[in-house]
Amino acid sequence: MRNFITAIALFIVAVSTAQTKFEQGMGKAFALWKEGKNTEASQLFERIASAEKSSWLPNYYVALVNTTASFAEKDKTKVNLMLTKAQEALDVEMIKDQSNSELYVLQALIYTAYVVADPMTNGMKYSAKVMEAYAKAKALDPKNPRAVFGEAEYQLGGAKWTGVDTKPLCVEVNKAIELFATFKPETEFSPKWGLERALEVQKTCK
Amino acid sequence: MKTRITFIFLLMSVFTFAQNIISGKVLDQKGKPVAGANIYLDGTYDGASSSETGDFSFETTTAGNQTIVISFLLFETFTKEIDVTNFKDQTIKLKENVNALDAVVITAGTMESGEKARVSVLKPLDIVTTAGSAGNIIAALQTLPGTQSVGEDGRLFVRGGEASETQTFVDGIRVAQPYGATTNNLPTRSRFSPFLFSGIAFSTGGYSAEYGEALSSVLLLNTQDEPDHNKTDIGLMTVGLSLGNTQKWKKSSLSVNMAYINLAPYQAVIPQNVDWNSPYQSLGGELVYRYNFTNGIFKMYAAFDSERFDLNQKNINFENPVRTDLNNNNFYLNSSYKGNFGDGWQLTTGLSYGYSKNKVKYDINNLDNNENAAQLKLKLRKSFSNRFKLSFGTDYFITKFNENFDDNISIQASNGYNSNIAAFYTEGDIQFSKKLAAKVGFRLSYNSLLDETAIAPRASLAYKVSKSSQFSFAYGDFTQAPVVDYIKYSKYHQFESEKARHYILNYQFTQPGQTFRAEAYYKDYSNLVQYDTRDIQYNSVFNNNGSGYAKGLDLFWRDSNLYKNLEYWVSYSYIDSERQYKNFPTMATPSFVANHNLSVVTKYFITDWKSQIGFTNSFSTGRPYNDPNQTQFMNGKTKAYNSLSFNWAYLLTTQKIIYFSVSNILGTQNIFGYDYAKTPDAAGVYNRQAIVPTADRFFFVGFFWTISQNKNENQLRNL
Repeated sequence: MRNFITAIALFIVAVSTAQTKFEQGMGKAFALWKEGKNTEASQLFERIASAEKSSWLPNYYVALVNTTASFAEKDKTKVNLMLTKAQEALDVEMIKDQSNSELYVLQALIYTAYVVADPMTNGMKYSAKVMEAYAKAKALDPKNPRAVFGEAEYQLGGAKWTGVDTKPLCVEVNKAIELFATFKPETEFSPKWGLERALEVQKTCK
Repeated sequence: MKTRITFIFLLMSVFTFAQNIISGKVLDQKGKPVAGANIYLDGTYDGASSSETGDFSFETTTAGNQTIVISFLLFETFTKEIDVTNFKDQTIKLKENVNALDAVVITAGTMESGEKARVSVLKPLDIVTTAGSAGNIIAALQTLPGTQSVGEDGRLFVRGGEASETQTFVDGIRVAQPYGATTNNLPTRSRFSPFLFSGIAFSTGGYSAEYGEALSSVLLLNTQDEPDHNKTDIGLMTVGLSLGNTQKWKKSSLSVNMAYINLAPYQAVIPQNVDWNSPYQSLGGELVYRYNFTNGIFKMYAAFDSERFDLNQKNINFENPVRTDLNNNNFYLNSSYKGNFGDGWQLTTGLSYGYSKNKVKYDINNLDNNENAAQLKLKLRKSFSNRFKLSFGTDYFITKFNENFDDNISIQASNGYNSNIAAFYTEGDIQFSKKLAAKVGFRLSYNSLLDETAIAPRASLAYKVSKSSQFSFAYGDFTQAPVVDYIKYSKYHQFESEKARHYILNYQFTQPGQTFRAEAYYKDYSNLVQYDTRDIQYNSVFNNNGSGYAKGLDLFWRDSNLYKNLEYWVSYSYIDSERQYKNFPTMATPSFVANHNLSVVTKYFITDWKSQIGFTNSFSTGRPYNDPNQTQFMNGKTKAYNSLSFNWAYLLTTQKIIYFSVSNILGTQNIFGYDYAKTPDAAGVYNRQAIVPTADRFFFVGFFWTISQNKNENQLRNL
């Protein structure tokens, strides 16, 4: 009996530490990210990625942290380094799975970051790629709110100064917000960002 | 019982989570601490970031041998097998990553544009948005330093070299006939629409051993690897129509582009300096097909165009204007494969074929010629490490030229030649450090027509002196077979290749939004062809004893930080060049060389007007001409040249653009040179006639519409 309990205890410890290790690690990384410690967060995600090769999430967040951080960075050399890092991390997961809608959304976001960093040089080159990545994301999962919203937002960005009709794009934004409401992330750490931004953009639509 | 289990737990955790401390310091090669490096044991969560002092320390629960990984983008990732119980206070030196963005690159002689370029002198859009360029790649390049603007010719003249000394390459393979048809003092333009090319590298000297048969310069155009997406482009212009379509599939894609140009409406509105019997017309098409393999890409580029015009030009030697009626058909095919295999090998192979047929009626003379030209190329590149790459390859040029001349009275002549050139080259790229790089190679070639073997060494070196500035130096020997005008009269092995030697010293300063380049060069020409008659003809006596030099300074400044939405660049070139070649009796500056050239290009985006407005001003000092009334050869000098051009692109909606451009708004009466009569008049004076543009101004209005799913796509780049 004693042995049995010990065995179970051991098993539970084994299982629970395995689980909590990932959860703890991810939790800590998210905490760092929230505190604005982007480098540390990215590095922790990178370490988790090296240990958890079967999960696409750590690399996804390495890419996401660096991409979003690049929007605020003014030094173009650093922007390039961040986006190179993001692309490398994303590539690791993209090779493993080409049918994950979220990865394409993130790819579109990386391209968008290049456009934002230097519109004159990168605008023409990456615009089409942004649209293509969103189109793929939507094809893989038509109900992915980030894909629907991202595509509309990118076009709104261009429409503002070219005077293209924004109405159909705003309809898409509204649709994305509805999708956000019904969207259930698969796991605790699966991507679920985007609603706040969508609500902000919705305001400018009116 | 409870306590016992707790105890076991405790014991277990103590046992399994036995902590080992890993600590140390991360330094760069100079011993400076590296902050923010990511240090961890591979496959575990255990790790830390290095502090400002480069120190790190973390605990691990693992035991035995583990792999420690230290990664930081600017450095090569460091990995090492370690024993976790015994890795404390270790110092690790990271090697700099020579692939990192701030590593030195060799810039002597070369100006690049496009996605791969680290420092873009020209951006992809510039070709089309530069006022005065009208979508002509060559015209846009003429705003860069080192070039001469030769208005009556239209081709690229680089650093005291003739236009034929510049070779054009598409995807690494030579284009035998890069320019449209032309005749007496009518400027030509590039055959290539900027639309299908994603990268341009323009070298004004000292280029790689990969390229041969060019004395002065190479222009490298690369077709896009991947088109954007399915779309249709429609253009309605005052000078014609254009239509393009791109289809994209999973692994392959096809882009087709057609254009019909007719200058009749333009010639009707703007007063012309010549009398057109039938306006300039051209029908052209281009096609690019791409197929992506797992490890490589196959590309095929094909272009055809057919041009014609018919005009009467005043000629000082004839009482009545002389008629020129020209028909040109041109076809070009280029296919290439580029792929990776094995361990760090890259293979590039391809072939090109060009066919050009001219039918010219000049006065009562008929001149027909045709040229078949092909190139085969194979290139291998092995990457031994980030620091050393070796490439080698071989190519083979075949040219067949035939010409028939009939003056419809007595003379009927036919001339032609067959030329085969085989070449081998090898070149090593050595990156000593992030600051110092070198490229050394040579090219060996054999020309069967000339029965001549030539070896041409090339070397270049770059050194970075600070974060934003660097020096480069390039040296090279270059050879080129004499142009068709001579070798069509070649008797057995009569000619030798012409030769040039380049020395280039370049300084470059870059920071975001700003680029400054200064380049000093010296070029030594030898073996230039000379002849003893007024015109080149079958009974001229030729020799290869000509020589010459060109030296000068090129400056370039580009800035986009001065004022929001404003981009501008300034190019200035000073050149001093003399030659004794052709039928020159002494050393003299050729007529295409102006000592000072200045271009100022500005672009301003006005958000409220949804418009981009651009001005380009080109200025050059007078060019020499020979006045037979004077004893000294090439003693005349034309007045200075100036042209101010303007363009305006208005975005009607994102996908619909109205484009307007006009060249030489001020209507400056430019003179390119003078034609003198062959014989003096009764008073013993040689009369002359000024060589002027066919019209003082060119204007253009167009409407461009893109139909695609991406609502942000438009044809701004095509204009």
